[in-house]
Amino acid sequence: MKIAVLMKDVPDLVEDLELTDEGQLAVDELSFIPSEWDDQALEEALLVKDEMGQAEVTAVAVDTGDVDSMLYTALAKGADRAVKIVGEFGRDLPNRARSAVLAEYLKTAGYDLILTGVQAIDDVDGQVAGLVAGHLDVPHASVVREVAVAGGHVRCLQEYSAGRMAELRLATPALLGIQAARKPPRYVTIAKVRQVTKSASLEEVEGELPEVPTAAVRRLFKPQAAGRAVMWEGDPEAVAEQIVALLDDRKLIRS
Amino acid sequence: MVLRTVLEALTAVMLLSSLALFGRRVRAIAGVMKKARPIVRTDRVGERLASVVEHVLLHRRMFRITFSGILHFFIFSGFVVLLIDIVETIGEVFIPGFTVGPVLATIVDVWDVVVLVGIAMAVYNRVVIKPERFAGSDEKDAFLILGLITAIVSGIIVHDSFYPFLAREVFHVPDPVARAHFLGWGLSRLWIALGWTSPVAAGAGYTLGYLLDIGVVFGFLAYLPYSKHFHIFSAVPNIFVRNLRPLGELVPKVPEESIAVRSFQDFHWKDILDLYTCTECGRCQAVCPAHAAGQPLSPKMVILKLRDALNERIAAGGWQEAPAAPALAGGVVSPEELWACTTCGACQEACPVFIEHVPKIVGLRSALLEDGEVDAGAQKALVAFDRQGNSFGQPARKRPQWAKGLDFPIKDARKEPVDWLWFVGDFAAYDPRVQDLTRLVAQLLHLAGVDFGILYEGEVNSGNDALRIGEYGLFENLAAKNLQALEKAQYNRIFTTDPHSLNALKNEYRKLGFESKVMHYTEAFGELVAQGRLTLAPLRLRATYHDPCYLGRWNRITEAPRALIRRTGVDLIEMPRHGTQSFCCGAGGGRIWMEEAGMEERPANQRIKEALALPDVAYFVVACPKDVSMFSASVTAMGLEERLKVVDVAELLGVATGLLQVREVQLATS
Repeated sequence: MKIAVLMKDVPDLVEDLELTDEGQLAVDELSFIPSEWDDQALEEALLVKDEMGQAEVTAVAVDTGDVDSMLYTALAKGADRAVKIVGEFGRDLPNRARSAVLAEYLKTAGYDLILTGVQAIDDVDGQVAGLVAGHLDVPHASVVREVAVAGGHVRCLQEYSAGRMAELRLATPALLGIQAARKPPRYVTIAKVRQVTKSASLEEVEGELPEVPTAAVRRLFKPQAAGRAVMWEGDPEAVAEQIVALLDDRKLIRS
Repeated sequence: MVLRTVLEALTAVMLLSSLALFGRRVRAIAGVMKKARPIVRTDRVGERLASVVEHVLLHRRMFRITFSGILHFFIFSGFVVLLIDIVETIGEVFIPGFTVGPVLATIVDVWDVVVLVGIAMAVYNRVVIKPERFAGSDEKDAFLILGLITAIVSGIIVHDSFYPFLAREVFHVPDPVARAHFLGWGLSRLWIALGWTSPVAAGAGYTLGYLLDIGVVFGFLAYLPYSKHFHIFSAVPNIFVRNLRPLGELVPKVPEESIAVRSFQDFHWKDILDLYTCTECGRCQAVCPAHAAGQPLSPKMVILKLRDALNERIAAGGWQEAPAAPALAGGVVSPEELWACTTCGACQEACPVFIEHVPKIVGLRSALLEDGEVDAGAQKALVAFDRQGNSFGQPARKRPQWAKGLDFPIKDARKEPVDWLWFVGDFAAYDPRVQDLTRLVAQLLHLAGVDFGILYEGEVNSGNDALRIGEYGLFENLAAKNLQALEKAQYNRIFTTDPHSLNALKNEYRKLGFESKVMHYTEAFGELVAQGRLTLAPLRLRATYHDPCYLGRWNRITEAPRALIRRTGVDLIEMPRHGTQSFCCGAGGGRIWMEEAGMEERPANQRIKEALALPDVAYFVVACPKDVSMFSASVTAMGLEERLKVVDVAELLGVATGLLQVREVQLATS
């Protein structure tokens, strides 16, 4: 069983986003962290591997800057291989283009199961799973969890509204957009990452920037303050009255 | 004469077999120690000998629990004094006419009484008083040992009582000390009354006494290394090789690979000796905040579980690799026990034989961490340390934001020289509840005319907690970032408001080449007050002071904060547990980020109760930003805001200097 996990890093939203004078994201100001859903996908892949005993997990990332530490971290966590797709890719690589680059590599790499995060925060086409699956023309399901492999098929759970749940069965090769792993992503120590960085190596694969239709961002704006908060002070009884009156006014109380 | 020959032969056989058993066991333990990691513990011989005198001969720590201290001193002194009896008894069998003289003979009998009193007290302690600290200890072993000692002392009296009849009739030598052994002499009156003075009767009685005494001594010798009583031999060396480096230094030198402990070889040899020195007295358990909070940790049980596991592995013949055996971290000692530790060090402080619990726990934690097994909250903090350099997950840029709102600028020590460099620390910089205090410290410095600066966003968390969670690599990264900023800075002295940062800067950065003198702000402000740079109007109130573990215990800074508090005109009332024996708030060692599930009563709440028991004390003074958070939360949760107010030393200074209005800190001067 060969499992690939598609990973990428995204801006760390702990930092305030800065805009350039041209209304573009000031990419140089950003710090990047692994997309949290990709971390979940990696964890789920490692758990599937633990369960099956015999599986090979490969972390795959497009080299849009500094993805090495993310890939070494994946190796330190237990991935068997790490593939970096290198080429003329910048930090602004749109996800539609990214998906095509990944698909080009995956086509011939012979993976039975491909996992990735259900979404990412970096652009409007953050759902890479569906895009890649489209390129590869393989079975695909997104917003899924609890992945299990049995008898050449992949099973997973997909959640619907009102607490309904579907168990899906896909023929391999299949591509899944992972909502959450069964367990929180494991911690890996700095020392272990350091040691793996010294002893392991990343496999580099050439990739080409494809011609794909993408959405162009004309200008970004900072959110504008719409209204102001009103502070109610004084006697708790009186404040409570005001709260009730407001809720009533907004028709939020059933009388 | 047959009797003598028989006794001589018996003695030789017993001596050889017990020495062989003893030696075999000691060799096995020494073998493990030899394979363990190296550590230097035989330097500074003079200090080490002095510490042996202090803690062995004078029982310094033992006497902290008076009753136990006295009973132990009685029994312990018996072991020393009654060596005279062994010399005398074996002497008189092997060398006809041998005697130790009437004075030493009298001393033997006096100590027979002393030891018997000690044993009676010990039995009373275990049967009637039953301190909780014995829970989990091998009580059977304790009673067996007490029984054996009773046998030895009884044996002494018995053989001494029959010897006068044998000396003349059988050994044909005089017995000049018959009356000096006053207990034996007294008992011999009974034998005369019963008519048991014939060579046969006296010979039988003497042999019985001899076996009870010398026989049990040799049996004891063979049994000792398999029991907790091995401390008779190991306590002296263990105290001799105690840690004399700075207490707060968890890792003495940069580790070659990892600090993780997976097998007994990963411990230092002193750690192995520790396991065989534990007397199961449970003083560590009695002071452990995690244990007191109802969590599964007992420092004593950690030591005992490790010792038992090592014994099993030695017995199985393969202590180095034990694939089938449970893992040390997570198996022998459970993850719940390991993560419950606050690394407060109260256990080590209480241990009469200087066992070091905390480094073992951290080493085992490190192994868990390497396997990815860590509390979710702690993991979040570690990731935030790695990414943002602070546990709050706040951008580095926001670190100096607390300084906004001050009406004077704070120098950037990386850009211009300063006299005092202030290492602010995470909680003081980011925690909104503490930021007011941080600004107050800046105002006090400004008022005193101190030329000071900070490292701005160049500062990251000191790594003290990351290291204690077991993440050495992360500690190293954080330290490297701080050292890089410190290298750029020009300053005459460095001080910090945070005891955890103080500990890292002062003790853990030394191995990385940083050797500046680091002060706590209570020390630095003490100087300002002494120099008259801050004028204080007396506050006239009663307060108690809580020693932060990383200030009082790990760094022995207990007097500076007290002196400063008194200078503000505060009548300081001590809680029962204070100074180096303070009780942890529960936040250390990464605990502040971890799950509290299963906790019966938070250590901070217990501490607040301890303060409440003091007469007319309405202020609980702290000197650590984490304490401000922890104890304020407790006081609020317990609904005690009207009764007890948590204030920082800086607030006392603020009011005393007139910087703060009384109402701002609600100091109702009485």
